[in-house]
Amino acid sequence: MTSMRDIKQRIENVRSTEQIIRAMDMVASTKLQKARRQLEGVRPIYGKLKRVAEEIGNLEEVETHPFYYERKVKNTLYIIITSDRGLSGSYNANILSETMKHMNNGKNEKILVVGSKGNDYLKKREKNIIRKITDIADSQVYYGTENLAKWLSDLYLSGEVEEVFVAYTRFENVLSYTPQVERLLPVATGVKLEDNNRNNEKKYEPDLATFIERMMPLYLHMSLFRAFSESHTSEQAARMVNMDAAGNNASDLIKDLTSMYNRKRQAAITQELSEIVGSANFLSK
Amino acid sequence: MSEQQTELVNDEKINLTITTPRGVKFVEEADMLIMRCIDGDLGVLPRHEPVSTVLGEGILRIFNNGIEKKLAVFNGIVEINGTDVDIYTTIAQRPDEIDLERAEQDRREAEAALEAAEEIQMRSLQVTLRRSLVRIEVSLHLEDEETP
Repeated sequence: MTSMRDIKQRIENVRSTEQIIRAMDMVASTKLQKARRQLEGVRPIYGKLKRVAEEIGNLEEVETHPFYYERKVKNTLYIIITSDRGLSGSYNANILSETMKHMNNGKNEKILVVGSKGNDYLKKREKNIIRKITDIADSQVYYGTENLAKWLSDLYLSGEVEEVFVAYTRFENVLSYTPQVERLLPVATGVKLEDNNRNNEKKYEPDLATFIERMMPLYLHMSLFRAFSESHTSEQAARMVNMDAAGNNASDLIKDLTSMYNRKRQAAITQELSEIVGSANFLSK
Repeated sequence: MSEQQTELVNDEKINLTITTPRGVKFVEEADMLIMRCIDGDLGVLPRHEPVSTVLGEGILRIFNNGIEKKLAVFNGIVEINGTDVDIYTTIAQRPDEIDLERAEQDRREAEAALEAAEEIQMRSLQVTLRRSLVRIEVSLHLEDEETP
């Protein structure tokens, strides 16, 4: 039997927890807005560059170009984007399980992991992590991904890996985000494009090889920056939704505890009253 | 024949779209564009043949109804298709977005450093210098207009 004092203590505890949760909720929603702006900025340029890259993939003469040529796959690089901090519900678990599912096909995988949550998870499973990036500041993401794109294309061109996949969480809206594993390199060839007439007789200057050489770093940079932005936005959205739910749970708990407290108080008063009435009756006899 | 051609040029405009990582930044009409590519300047009129090319570091000049605008555009690629010109770049700045003082400072520092620079630093310093010069020119262009 819990005493009234214990209940009061618990209400206080839950109340201060709720305050922290509400504060985190607010932080996440501010960050979400910022992340969303960044994401909406990068999506158009990514989409257009992707189309340009795939348009080139449809040309016959690029089939042997290193960025398009399908080599026999011995090593696959996975870039897995997770978060540094928890309290974001199933966000990390979803992206990691999606990636693990994708990995189970007997290939030799090398992993670049972003975020300490993913790092801990993959380390425990003794995966081959060749590089990890943790605690990256939001303002550093843009230049960070530029360097990463350089590193990536060096790794790819030197033949260390024959394939590059990027695993990220695509942000659709605040309530829905889907984990996704996409192949970044080699760039897909023979993709069906919607308006094919654009493609005809198009010229590339100064020549196709130079164009690809200049376009590819930009494309990789934007692909990575976009994947980071998508994941970051999803993370904040997941955290916001979870903190909101936690806040509501805390309010419900406080309500329950308060009514329990009130009942106890009422019972105590009733008991006292009946004692007084009882003793008064006894004395007046 | 030649008259007909001039007419065609006159009533058609180029639709210029510049996309940067911060979204679609400029959507403008133009009579003529002159852009800096890696191998020299490229002038574009409406009905240009479809071509994709690589931009260098330089000034994008936009002519519309006799008014010239200048933008600083550093690297990126451009797709030209008839009357549509799409530029995808990481940096495109309007004159009013350029911090002239900083550009001047960059120029002074780069020039000073170039004197003592070694081979390896040379390239990045040259890039800095080139960018600062472009920014200064674009930015001064705005001031000319304001004080006729």
